[in-house]
Amino acid sequence: MTESTVQVCVLDDVGHINLRGDRHSVDFITAVESVIGQSLPVAANTMSEKEHRVFWIGPDEWLITTVADNTLGLLADLDKKLASHHAAVNDVSGGNIELRLSGKNVRDVLAKGCTLDFHEIVFGPGTCAQSGLAKAAVLFGFVEAPHTFDIIVRRSFSDYLLRWLANAGCEYGIEFR
Amino acid sequence: MFLIQCPWCGERAETEFSYGGEAGIVRPLEPDALSDAEWADYLFNRTNLRGAYKELWNHAQGCRRWFGVERDTVTYKIEGSYELPSGRAGKGA
Repeated sequence: MTESTVQVCVLDDVGHINLRGDRHSVDFITAVESVIGQSLPVAANTMSEKEHRVFWIGPDEWLITTVADNTLGLLADLDKKLASHHAAVNDVSGGNIELRLSGKNVRDVLAKGCTLDFHEIVFGPGTCAQSGLAKAAVLFGFVEAPHTFDIIVRRSFSDYLLRWLANAGCEYGIEFR
Repeated sequence: MFLIQCPWCGERAETEFSYGGEAGIVRPLEPDALSDAEWADYLFNRTNLRGAYKELWNHAQGCRRWFGVERDTVTYKIEGSYELPSGRAGKGA
């Protein structure tokens, strides 16, 4: 049996919060940062990581992932702090699934189903990107060097995507944990 | 396959986008005042130019925003893309 060089696991202890607001408003950014305790990434295709992971997913939109038990508390804190702003905060945990891929051939598997450049000098720390993976719309987030990635995908696409991964990762002995 | 420059996400493959037709078509402010012919013209008739054409694209598998693209309908060369002005969609684009 070949050695497994790609491992996949479903992260089930994670909550997702969708945040929308005006990136040009210093007040809005300061208010958000005071609640999350880390920077709000305003540059396209970047993310910040500290207590939570915050992904840029649009010019006025972010996805915050955090430990499942913290989600409702963080949601309430953001809601309260942003009450006077033109902003929206929503719990989207139920709609998404987060997969964690690690192993030395992860980039090769992803490259089979996506047109993005996954080379280490392009897709490294602090990078995230939305694209299509085998026709499913996904968000890729870099987790840690050298080759650990998260894929956030609509729950309804997760079964399809896991089957696709099983097939695409076959030659690397893909393992589901 | 086109490589399309999303004004926010950067250059991406055409498969990430969906097409929105001609840009700059503004919904009449008073539809009730229009004749059937004028309403049909607004709904269906497009300039269908040969040459430089301004059109709408949506970055469906990316940031999900609409933006404008100028594309040559003869050579398919994309001259550039731009953010749409805020307010009524496509106005002045």
